[in-house]
Amino acid sequence: MSTSASVQSVSRSGSAFARRLAGSPALRLSGRRLLSAIPVLWGVTLLSFLMLNALPGDAASALLGINATPAEIRSFSIKLHLNEPLWTRYGHWLAGVLTGNLGTSLASPQSVASIIGQRLPVTLELVIYALIITFVVSVPLAVLCARWPRGVIDQSSLVLSMASISVAPYVLGLFLVILFAVHWSIFPAIGYTSLGASVAGNLHTMTLPSIVLAIPLIGFYTRFLRADLVEQMQSEDYVVTARAKGVSEWRILTRHALRNSFIGLLTVIGLNLATLIGATVIVEEIFSLPGIGFELLNAISNRDVPVVEGIVLVFGIAVVLANLATDLLYGVLDPRIRHVRARS
Amino acid sequence: MSVPAADLLTTAPAQDVLGGVGAGPRVRSRLRNLEIIVPGALLVVLLFFCFIWPLLYHIPSPTVADLFEVNRPLWSPGHILGTDAVGYDVMSRILYGGRVSFEVAAAVQAIGLVVGGLFGMIAAYRGGWTEAVLMRILDVFIAFPSLVLVLAIADSLGPSETHVIWALSAFSIPAFARVARAATLRLRDQPFIVAARLSGTRTWRILLQHLAPNLAPQLLTFSLLGASLTIILEGALDFLGYGVPPPTATWGNMIATGQSFISVYPQYVLVPSVFLVATSICLNMMGDGLRARWGVR
Repeated sequence: MSTSASVQSVSRSGSAFARRLAGSPALRLSGRRLLSAIPVLWGVTLLSFLMLNALPGDAASALLGINATPAEIRSFSIKLHLNEPLWTRYGHWLAGVLTGNLGTSLASPQSVASIIGQRLPVTLELVIYALIITFVVSVPLAVLCARWPRGVIDQSSLVLSMASISVAPYVLGLFLVILFAVHWSIFPAIGYTSLGASVAGNLHTMTLPSIVLAIPLIGFYTRFLRADLVEQMQSEDYVVTARAKGVSEWRILTRHALRNSFIGLLTVIGLNLATLIGATVIVEEIFSLPGIGFELLNAISNRDVPVVEGIVLVFGIAVVLANLATDLLYGVLDPRIRHVRARS
Repeated sequence: MSVPAADLLTTAPAQDVLGGVGAGPRVRSRLRNLEIIVPGALLVVLLFFCFIWPLLYHIPSPTVADLFEVNRPLWSPGHILGTDAVGYDVMSRILYGGRVSFEVAAAVQAIGLVVGGLFGMIAAYRGGWTEAVLMRILDVFIAFPSLVLVLAIADSLGPSETHVIWALSAFSIPAFARVARAATLRLRDQPFIVAARLSGTRTWRILLQHLAPNLAPQLLTFSLLGASLTIILEGALDFLGYGVPPPTATWGNMIATGQSFISVYPQYVLVPSVFLVATSICLNMMGDGLRARWGVR
């Protein structure tokens, strides 16, 4: 008796909870965002597949070379299912993707998933290392710039930022190689030591590539954070209140304004991921790092279609998910945005 | 409305990231003028030397090597920027390479402006399903890391300047569509558009004659920033061997070939790099300056 009553009360409070959830603007918004990501993810699979299959260029003859006989090409096409209609092949591939089976590489007996699993940690480490460097440099720099707007530090950082945003990663990479590897021999020009083999060796080989990735980001984030900080310091009521209470400028800047500005900064990072991934391809090529971008270039030159498809898919999905996470995080961190957007 | 997926170099956040807050309006406007005029003038000079100078004066061919004149240093007589390991005149390859960069950048931005601009305008103006479908398609393209997408397309099409242009347009079109859509959304319910609609003006006429002129400043400014990115990406394609094939000179493939001689003759990498970076800085500065001056985002 008493158990059924408690079950009832639980279920009643449960339904009330469900109703509260359904009424929550934040949750409705998140739900809508999640749903709208699904067609985009599907589109990413379609584009990854079509890009390599519908465009001109015959994989079978390219793989076998110009000396292949028509019979060889035919049997090879059958083996790769190239003789089947495009949509049938897409169906098979998509079914595989949904169950985590990305197919087998044409150039080696490895499965595409295992190749990506092997290469991904290198690229991830590169991106994370670069982001750490970016934060360590750009946050203090932005605070210094915002403390004295139009001052010496601010003006010189403006010039440097413009240069660092405009410099192409391959130019920057080679320039740093000339300086640090050829001229001063501080860091190696190419080569890779895994984190498992030696931490010091790993940092030694990864520092220069990470700096190349970090420099354009430093320029961008410093300016972004600085603009946001200056705006907060000039226009926000809580800054006026803090000043009236006698809080020092430094403290307002680092404890009050910086916290608010971090919200904007976090979201920008998620949105920049697509560009960052593009840059890792070039950086890995310059420094011969066995990451996923290096593998992509290899696979493209070998015409290893399943590997290229798999990597492009993984990159695409990573970006969609990062954008989604950013969007959701934005609402979580800043209640004002949550409510404004839910109403619109 | 979701936050648009921003490309690091092309889309600016709400604040004027590279501009300044804090200086007096007069000082700022004078600085702004300089910020537009100086890089603009530099670009005009560079364009003149790339496209017109070779017509007026004889310069060594960029694709005919002189095997008796290899590895000449900078400022050699007859070869201002020296010659490379095969005996190509570096100056002439820089000028002809610049042509490729500017041609590709102009074509890619023009395609993006027209096609992407139309897409964005139609999406925002029609709204509803048209907008939802068009924007989801563009989301897919934006989700792709542009360099990866461009590499795969360029490889499938095969190496040539036209194919590089098609491949790079795959990312300029969605970027322009985003900007055009956001701007059209702001203008859609303005009285002059409503008045045009009420007086029975046809949709395409509203789009082309009423909306388009209002979008032009913003899209043109955006195309300067986009051109800088296009030049960098075009160079990246050449650098990785999927762009305009040798013997045609491009800044990207000059850097790529110079890479092999980097420890002995760093100038083979540095000279094209300086031109590439300088062009990109000039375009970015102009774009930024114009954006601040016209108050567009």
